[in-house]
Amino acid sequence: MLMQLGLTRGLIYQAAGTVLGMVVTMVWRLLAGMPLWDQEVVFVVGGLVGGFAFMWGVGAIDDWLEWCRGKATPLVHGPPRDKPAWTRYFSTDYNHKVIGIQYSVTSLLMLMIGGSFALIFRAELAQADLQFLGMGMYNKLIGLHGWAVIAAILLGVGGMANYLVPLMIGAEDMAFPRLNAFAFWINVPGGLLLLASAFLGGFDAGWTAYPPLSTQGSVGYQFLFLAIYFVGLSSILGSLNLLVTILTMRPKGMDLFRIPIFCWAVLATSLIQLTATQAIGTAFLMGLSERALGMGFFDPEGGGNPILFQHIFWFYSHPAVYVFVLPGLGIISELLPVFSRKPLFGYRWIALSSLAIALVGFLVWGHHMFTSGYSPYLRVPFMVATLLVAVPTGVKFFSWVATMWGGRLRFPTPMLFTLGAISVFLLGGLTGPILATVASDLYLHDTYFVVGHFHATLFGGFVFPFCAAIYFWFPKITGRMYNEALGKLHFYIMTPAFWLMSIGQMTVGTMGMRRRIVDYDPTLGGGLVEARHLETTIAAFLIGLSILIMIYNLVTSAEIGVRAPANPWRSRSPEWQIPSPVPEHSFAAPLQVVGEPYDYGLEEEYVVMDESQAGHAQAH
Amino acid sequence: MRSNYRRHFLYAGILVVVFTLVIQWVLDLSLPLPDIQGSAQSAAIDNLIGQHVWLIAGAGALVLVIMGYSIVAFRARPGDEDEEGDYFHGHSGLEIAWTVIPLIVVTIYGVIGVQVLAQVTAPQDNEMTVEVEGLQWSWRFAYPEHGEFQTVEMVVPVNRPLLLSMSAVDVLHSFWVVEWRVKQDLVPGITTELRVTPTEVGEFQLRCAELCGLRHAYMLADVRVVSQEDFDAWIDEQLE
Repeated sequence: MLMQLGLTRGLIYQAAGTVLGMVVTMVWRLLAGMPLWDQEVVFVVGGLVGGFAFMWGVGAIDDWLEWCRGKATPLVHGPPRDKPAWTRYFSTDYNHKVIGIQYSVTSLLMLMIGGSFALIFRAELAQADLQFLGMGMYNKLIGLHGWAVIAAILLGVGGMANYLVPLMIGAEDMAFPRLNAFAFWINVPGGLLLLASAFLGGFDAGWTAYPPLSTQGSVGYQFLFLAIYFVGLSSILGSLNLLVTILTMRPKGMDLFRIPIFCWAVLATSLIQLTATQAIGTAFLMGLSERALGMGFFDPEGGGNPILFQHIFWFYSHPAVYVFVLPGLGIISELLPVFSRKPLFGYRWIALSSLAIALVGFLVWGHHMFTSGYSPYLRVPFMVATLLVAVPTGVKFFSWVATMWGGRLRFPTPMLFTLGAISVFLLGGLTGPILATVASDLYLHDTYFVVGHFHATLFGGFVFPFCAAIYFWFPKITGRMYNEALGKLHFYIMTPAFWLMSIGQMTVGTMGMRRRIVDYDPTLGGGLVEARHLETTIAAFLIGLSILIMIYNLVTSAEIGVRAPANPWRSRSPEWQIPSPVPEHSFAAPLQVVGEPYDYGLEEEYVVMDESQAGHAQAH
Repeated sequence: MRSNYRRHFLYAGILVVVFTLVIQWVLDLSLPLPDIQGSAQSAAIDNLIGQHVWLIAGAGALVLVIMGYSIVAFRARPGDEDEEGDYFHGHSGLEIAWTVIPLIVVTIYGVIGVQVLAQVTAPQDNEMTVEVEGLQWSWRFAYPEHGEFQTVEMVVPVNRPLLLSMSAVDVLHSFWVVEWRVKQDLVPGITTELRVTPTEVGEFQLRCAELCGLRHAYMLADVRVVSQEDFDAWIDEQLE
């Protein structure tokens, strides 16, 4: 049975491919008269070959290989004929709903793995001095935590976008279903390489992997670089697919200012992913080749410059922050009108503010580098550009509260998480300008204040909205309701705990505690720093507990939850006008757009099915 | 309901003002800066941070209060289950206002930021150069204007503008004395500069603020700020 799963085959192929790649490299080196063993080169080739072997094993390139041989392959829908239905989730499947769930579940898994790394070093930080975690282990865990949760966020973004976008615009599937499956599965060897790097000495320069530290460390860095290469490839291919889907597959009458607002967020996100991800690929490829081939990009001895890496790295990694949060902000905009029973306030402004954030986001990378030693003349332009991000972000906040104003608000779990998201993202957003302003950043840079700031941004922009989305669309996905009491318990543990954690991080930062240190001076902040750390650690564990409650809720409710009606939230969005769970072919007939997406309070519908053309979709 | 908006706006407006003050007070408690302002740069930076805390409080109160007020005043009450909210879907004037006003506010904060930056980085007359070298995981200091010697603790005269000329031997490091507020990275192959004028006599700690490997957390050096006479005596001691 296990062998029938694409995943199992992929893993075996990856292991075999890695060994094969390593052996071939060594034989080739031997034939070329070089010493047999050079770990940098051997592991890089092994990791690369292993990654692509996985894709072959899992079956994600089967159809393309057939095409190369001149054979046409029909796009088969539905569960596999000769195997149980659940196996499709562990094999290559072209249905966007399956792929969306694959993304989301993998995301939750990575989120828990990455979160667990954080809990380990949070426990260490509960007290000053060294307790159980060595210095080296600490330095490796922080980077691993960072990349594991970033991968989780990218997967979560992919999950929401893949599941929701085609349903929201009434499309049969994504524009390129095979590419879609490929873009998901490439994350798996990527994630495995990331975790495997820990067994090759790990990477001890934090997630930013600044050289020269990263070009001197253990060979684990090479697996990190390769892992991000694979995950980045997924971002580029996935975003291309989403852009084409949104731009070309809308039904008649659904012009761009009539699509559900989440699609605008995905549009802006995809533009960033399609154009910025190459930069981190470049930065890491340069790091990889400096290590493996001795190219001196960042080595002053070889004519290189360490600051160059920071520029290229942040040219992706700042816009990437908007990749992490824009879809979440889209979820907020999507859910508020449903539970406020009121139209979304200023639809066009919210839609265009996403684009504005995406565009300005390309001009602000230098604010991570105010103390780096780059030309001082660059500081002010980057400061001004960064402060400008506050304007479109403000438009979103004001439009959200205006959406709630005068509504008839109700508060089931998804709404609670939406409100939690707004409050937490507000904390993250408002602590931005103080870091964007050069002089105050000269103090706060590389302190725990920054840690507090970006955790608030990412929890408010991703984790809370992701939870809201999971609870909100759970009935649509499974056909059953989640347990409301457990959902609320999750919210009422996680939200105060997060506020405590985030404020605690900011507090120890202003007291003067640096980030990325295993041990701190207990006399900071008049001796109060240790108490704040203990609170922060307790809060972090509470957040972990609340996530476990959610997982328990989701797993049990999928089995024994109350049967969900087609549209429990009385939403106007297309995906709620079809049965729950969504049938294999989502829409029995093409959609016709007859109204506006968020006209709550009006009788007329947003979309109706064109019954006269029923069956047309399947024929296609 | 619409006719009552005037009353709702009034209540919410009052609450925004109250909560601005409350949040500002809470943040002042939650974000404590070190008591000692050890350099001429410290006060300017602390003031700037204080001004930003007001921005956080004001903007935070505005959003949180309107959100909280809506949660209370516009919640669906028992019996409202099927009722919809008031139907309005936008207001261009409002959208323009909350685009333009934040633009003005961030411009003001930008101008203030530029002024403070100019103030804390301005070259001074009578600067004394100290050469700082960072290496895994210790610091070295040299005083080229006073002779050929290197130390592992940094001793500087009070109220004398310093020009720190810094370089890294191996990997990135960052120079940071909490009481002096300002920080600057040290980069292999490049000389970076930091200007700071210590104004408080005392013993402080220099901490590396850029992750630099295994013992990064413990990459510390003692910093002593002393009177000019004590400094001269210390120099003589070093030259012996």
